[in-house]
Amino acid sequence: MKIIKLIFALLICCAIFQNVSAQDNISPDRKAAIDSLALEKVRDLSKYITILGDKKTPFSEATRVIDRALELFMPGSTMGVSSLYRKKIETYPIKDYLQRLTRLNYAKVTISWFNIQYVSDLVKQPDGRYVGVITIFQKFEGVTKEGLKYVDVTKKDITVYVERKQTQIDGIPVGFWDVLLGDVKVKETTKG
Amino acid sequence: MRKLFLFIVVLFISTINSLAQLVNNNTKEDESDLYASTKQVNQFIRRFNGEEDLYGKRLYPKDKKYRDVALRKKYLNGLFDLENTNIKAQKDEFIAYVNSTSKPQFFDFYGNNWFAEVSADFLYNGKEQNVVLNFKLEKETGGYKWSFTSAYAGFFEQEFKSAPLTDLKFIEPMSHEIDFMSLDKVFKFHNKQIEHYATKEYSPDYLTMFFREVKKGTLVYESVTDVKFHVFQVENWYFEMKYFNRKGDNSGWLISNLIKIPEKDKASLIKTINHETSN
Repeated sequence: MKIIKLIFALLICCAIFQNVSAQDNISPDRKAAIDSLALEKVRDLSKYITILGDKKTPFSEATRVIDRALELFMPGSTMGVSSLYRKKIETYPIKDYLQRLTRLNYAKVTISWFNIQYVSDLVKQPDGRYVGVITIFQKFEGVTKEGLKYVDVTKKDITVYVERKQTQIDGIPVGFWDVLLGDVKVKETTKG
Repeated sequence: MRKLFLFIVVLFISTINSLAQLVNNNTKEDESDLYASTKQVNQFIRRFNGEEDLYGKRLYPKDKKYRDVALRKKYLNGLFDLENTNIKAQKDEFIAYVNSTSKPQFFDFYGNNWFAEVSADFLYNGKEQNVVLNFKLEKETGGYKWSFTSAYAGFFEQEFKSAPLTDLKFIEPMSHEIDFMSLDKVFKFHNKQIEHYATKEYSPDYLTMFFREVKKGTLVYESVTDVKFHVFQVENWYFEMKYFNRKGDNSGWLISNLIKIPEKDKASLIKTINHETSN
C-alpha cells in the first residue's frame, strides 16, 4: 500500500513538473489566446485615448477614464514621443501624457485608428515574464478656433508584459495569464 | 414572448457592433502602405524567414507555407531600401543565396552574430554630445536581455589622440634594476601621452570609460536618437538594418546596407563598426 501511495505521489509530481516545463514554451494556441487578451487591453487604451482627446468629454469623466487607463499599465510605464523633425524622444509618465490629451489647444479633435494591429512574438525575460510589442496606428485631426486644420498619423509601439499567475477559486489553485501594458513609443509617421 | 426575446438579443448584438466601430473606426486611406510597411524588427525577421503570411498572420512549422520559398522570395524583395542604388545591384544575388532550396539561410533572433547600434545624446560636463552604444542579446536564467558590448564617443577618442613623444619615448629595458625610477619622469612630463607607454596591442576600452563617466555624473543621458542593427548571420554576407520613416510601401525596417564579405574578414568589419583601433 505504501509503495502504491509513493508511486501515486511521484506521478502527481511528474504531472506538475511537466505542466511547469510546458508553460516555459508558449504553444501557438496559447499565444493566440494571449494575443486576444493583449489586443483587448490595447483596444481599451485606444478607446480611452479617443475619449480623452474629445473636447466634449467633461472633466469628471476624463478623470475617471484616466484612472481606468492607468489600470492597464505596469507602474512606472512611460510614453516616449518623437516627431518627424525631432528625433529626440520626449518621455512622459503615462498619466501626464493622458492628461495632456485633455488640454490640447484645438476647438475640435478627432482621433481615429487604422484597422491594423501587428503583434510580435513573446520573448522570455530573465525575471520569468514574457514581453512583446503591439503596433497600432492613430490618425489625429485637430481644428483650431480659426479653422486651421492639423492632421498627423502616429505609430504606437506598445510593450506588453505577460505573466503566469495563480489565484484560488473555492480553495483550488487556478493558473491564469496576466497581461499588462508597458512603455509606449509614439512616432510621428506623416503629416496630413 | 420568444419573438420579443429574440428582438432584444438582436438589438444587444447590434449595439455591441456599434460600440466596436466607435472604438475601432477605420480609416481606409494609407492602410495598404501600413500593411506593407515592415513595422517591427520582429516582422522583418518573420518576413525574412517566411514565417508570416501575406496578411501578417504568424506561421508555425506545422503550417504548409512556413518558410515557403515563393513566399520568402516575395517578402525578401521588399525588405531592402529600394532608393539605395548600391543595394539594388546586389539584392538579387543575396536573395537567391539566402533563399536557396539546398542551403537556405535564416535570421535567428536568439542567435549570435548580430547586434544593435544605438546613437544617443548625452550631456558631457554640461555640453551635448553623441555617444554610440552597442548591445547584444544575452541569455540569463532562462530569459533574454540586451547587454552593453561597447561604446564610442568622439570625445573619448580625442583623449587618445595625443601628440607623439619627442623624448623619453620608451621605458628603458633595464628600468627594473632601478625599481622603475623613470616612471617619475613619465608621469611628471608625459602624463597626457601616457597611452604611448602601453603595449602595441593596447586598445582603449571606451565602454569602461563610458561607465566611469556615467557613474561620476559627468555624462548624463538625454535621449536615443537612432537605432540600427548589424547582422552577420548570413554566410559570406553582412547587412545593416534601419527604420525608414516615410510614405509608401517601401518603409519601416529595411536593409540599408549590404556587403558580400568572406567569413574571415567579418571580424575586421565588426572592429571597424565598433570603432575598435590599436594604439
